[in-house]
Amino acid sequence: MVKIFHLSWKGSLLKEKGMKTLFFLSAISAIIVIFSIIFFLFRDAYPIFQKEGVVDFLIGMRWYPTGQPPLYGAFPLIVDTLLVTLGAMLIAIPLSIGSAIFIAELATPRMKAIIKPAIELLAGIPSVVFGFFGLIVLVTWLQITFDVPTGESWLAGSILLGIMAIPTITSVAEDAISSVPREYKEGSLAVGATRWQTISKIVVPSAISGITAAIILGIGRAIGETMAVMMVCGNPTYGLIPNPITNVFAPIKTLTATLGIEMGEVATGSDHYSALFGLALILLIITLIVNILATLILGRLKEKQRSGSKRLPIISFELAKKIKQSLYLFIGIVIIIILLMAVGIIPVICILIIIALMYYSLKKISIKIKQKIAFSIISLSIIIVIIFLGIILAYIVTNGVGALSWEFLTTGPSNLGRSGGIFPSIIGTLYLVAGAIAISLPLGVGAAIFLHEYTKEGIVTKIIRAGADLLNGTPSIVFGLFGFAFFVLYLKFGFSLLAGQITLAFMILPTIIRTTEEALKSVPQSLREGSYALGATKWQTIRKVVLPPAAPGILTGAILGIGRAAGETAPILFTAVVFSNFIPSSLLQPVNALPYHLFTLATSIPGSKENQAGTALVLLLLVIGIYLIAILLRNRFRKNMKW
Amino acid sequence: MTSKDKLIRTETLNLWYGEKQALYDITLGILPNKITALIGPSGCGKSTLIRCFNRMNDVIDKCKITGKIFFHETDIYRPDADAVEVRKKIGMVFQKPNPFPKTIYENVAYGSKVQGITNKNQLDEIVEKSLKNAALWDEVKDRLHESAMGLSGGQQQRLCIARSLSIEPEVILMDEPCSALDPIATAKIEDLMTGLKKKYTVIIVTHNMQQAARVSDYTAYMYLGKLIEFGETKQIFENPKEELTENYITGRFG
Repeated sequence: MVKIFHLSWKGSLLKEKGMKTLFFLSAISAIIVIFSIIFFLFRDAYPIFQKEGVVDFLIGMRWYPTGQPPLYGAFPLIVDTLLVTLGAMLIAIPLSIGSAIFIAELATPRMKAIIKPAIELLAGIPSVVFGFFGLIVLVTWLQITFDVPTGESWLAGSILLGIMAIPTITSVAEDAISSVPREYKEGSLAVGATRWQTISKIVVPSAISGITAAIILGIGRAIGETMAVMMVCGNPTYGLIPNPITNVFAPIKTLTATLGIEMGEVATGSDHYSALFGLALILLIITLIVNILATLILGRLKEKQRSGSKRLPIISFELAKKIKQSLYLFIGIVIIIILLMAVGIIPVICILIIIALMYYSLKKISIKIKQKIAFSIISLSIIIVIIFLGIILAYIVTNGVGALSWEFLTTGPSNLGRSGGIFPSIIGTLYLVAGAIAISLPLGVGAAIFLHEYTKEGIVTKIIRAGADLLNGTPSIVFGLFGFAFFVLYLKFGFSLLAGQITLAFMILPTIIRTTEEALKSVPQSLREGSYALGATKWQTIRKVVLPPAAPGILTGAILGIGRAAGETAPILFTAVVFSNFIPSSLLQPVNALPYHLFTLATSIPGSKENQAGTALVLLLLVIGIYLIAILLRNRFRKNMKW
Repeated sequence: MTSKDKLIRTETLNLWYGEKQALYDITLGILPNKITALIGPSGCGKSTLIRCFNRMNDVIDKCKITGKIFFHETDIYRPDADAVEVRKKIGMVFQKPNPFPKTIYENVAYGSKVQGITNKNQLDEIVEKSLKNAALWDEVKDRLHESAMGLSGGQQQRLCIARSLSIEPEVILMDEPCSALDPIATAKIEDLMTGLKKKYTVIIVTHNMQQAARVSDYTAYMYLGKLIEFGETKQIFENPKEELTENYITGRFG
């Protein structure tokens, strides 16, 4: 009796251990990938660091790799990247925070039910579609309106990046504002504060760390963005800091754009090649720092919510107040100095006087009128956002719909894509996405199961989560370079479907891990306990009790991953795609894909306007359609998950 | 007592949350400088009713109200009535202590600040007076500029009372103010309430019948969104007229 019992126990234990090992291996995949990326970037960047010296590479004032002698100074590229991001944030931050406040506090439930998913949907528009719009419409508009030689400039990049960052920042900031406890709001209203006073003095300050994290995430996205920036910023042959530095119409060249443009024309193993990897490493480090900051802030926020915000703040309130005041003072001085440099002393004094007058007149007007002004500004910001995005969507739809036909979807391109259809690109995109999801779904789900079901929160989960977060913040062009160095060259896959699939898979892995984890979290602990109480093993419990109710959530994550993979260009630029009407018959052949087809048409094939818009529309519909399914599925899932 | 004596008076008040009706034809009058308790089983609408008195239900989406509530013979639900003005006169203390994530001082000064008082001395005075009235001053006077989140639950609730006193309302609504507190903290709040009625009119929602019997002058018994019986506390507890009331207070259900 005892023996039999013992044996059966041992058998299932083996299986349990096997499953656990399997899940552990998937969980550490995220860490392995991020370390491999760093390793390969560093390996290929090392020669230039050795030759030029790290410091000289960083602070070198000229980037001119094709000059005689070639110059490899990354400094202007770094400055340009920061400038375009700064401009983008000046546009995106006020509009996004205004929109977030509107959605969370002012919108009626019905408006909220429409605007919120719409904003999320807009976060899914592929960057190459934004770039296409920027190149055709925005750049021309700037050129004519401001009567400048070319609209391809810092300003164009900032406007486009700003619009692109709005959905991300709005969505995260709105979450933060909505999660401020209703009790705070009621407490404020109950002492006779107006809605605006409650929002400005209680709700927004309580959500400030979430809003900060939203802004930092937006900055991270803007720094890492490649395609749109590459298409509208002008990219002079040699990287230069705008002269004067406030000249927003100067063409600029960001880190990402340099990689996107020059990587395709460089001899493997040359100094130039190595220097590009050096740039990628710089880019990765900048975005990693930005993302770690955001993660830390959001992490502290979550902890605070969990412990019922009982924990005292690390710094005292008075100190925080002083820090805040000196920060404002500092920002104020910086802005004044920039303005002084830009426009001279007399206009600055005028501006200061106007601000002072406005400040004092604001103090005098009644609380009610203040509320009206504030609400109008907030409503205005969401209207501007809707108009921006509406113009982009309307342009693509009205111009693309003419090209759309059954033939367009089912035939190959002819005359270099000026006529004919986009069938091979559609098939290529489907192949790439199918492969990417086939690789990342098991890995991501396995990792999430390990994180949530097999380990207690601790150092191991922290490291794995940090790995996934870092991977999530890695710019897509960096994935592209890594894929090129590792799959295409090192593993000798060549430009191939397989290299593109794996690269995309790594890129969407963090999305899958995170959404799966959320789905697992939503399964109540009591269900698991019920299963254990019946003598089920861990794996049995997971398979039969936990996974079925979590399946719709996992599916949502998978669909979000598919949407992202379908719209991305940068990761496949140097790993998989060629501009052709070639349909691969093996995994080791190259493909064409929708975003790449659009990119090539828009940047290098004059006279293909109709097909550009048609391709953009198909890509847009595909990606938005995928996101729409994911959002609908998630909302349904959330509604049904009232345990 | 005539309707002129009543400080707050409701007339056929009905309330819906979306499709669901939560209050049916409530008509009652609240006398000034008395403590009125609203009692009844969970979901009877007592919290919903008390939130009508300072228009706190305005915060909730899909909440619809018909009927009238008079405060000093002015209908607070009149179309041109301003909820903000109502709340300056009718303060509220909530079920769960809800201090803002600010300092103790800032919590109490908040109400005055939003009404435009910026003079530091004046604010200091208001804070001290309010905290004294809420019997909290001695416990916190040395740490006014520390976070209110560091206070105990009972202290936090008294801070919230001080916060509502700071703008000198006429009425204080208390929505189960002791339900999240231990017996000692509860006793302190009850003592406080009795003191408050000299200056203020207090309406309290409670699920604790002993509490209602101990502190209140008048009691309203509600059941399923309807006002079943309303009268002097002594009469309600010793000689209820309605069978439903009797069943509840004798513990036959509830």
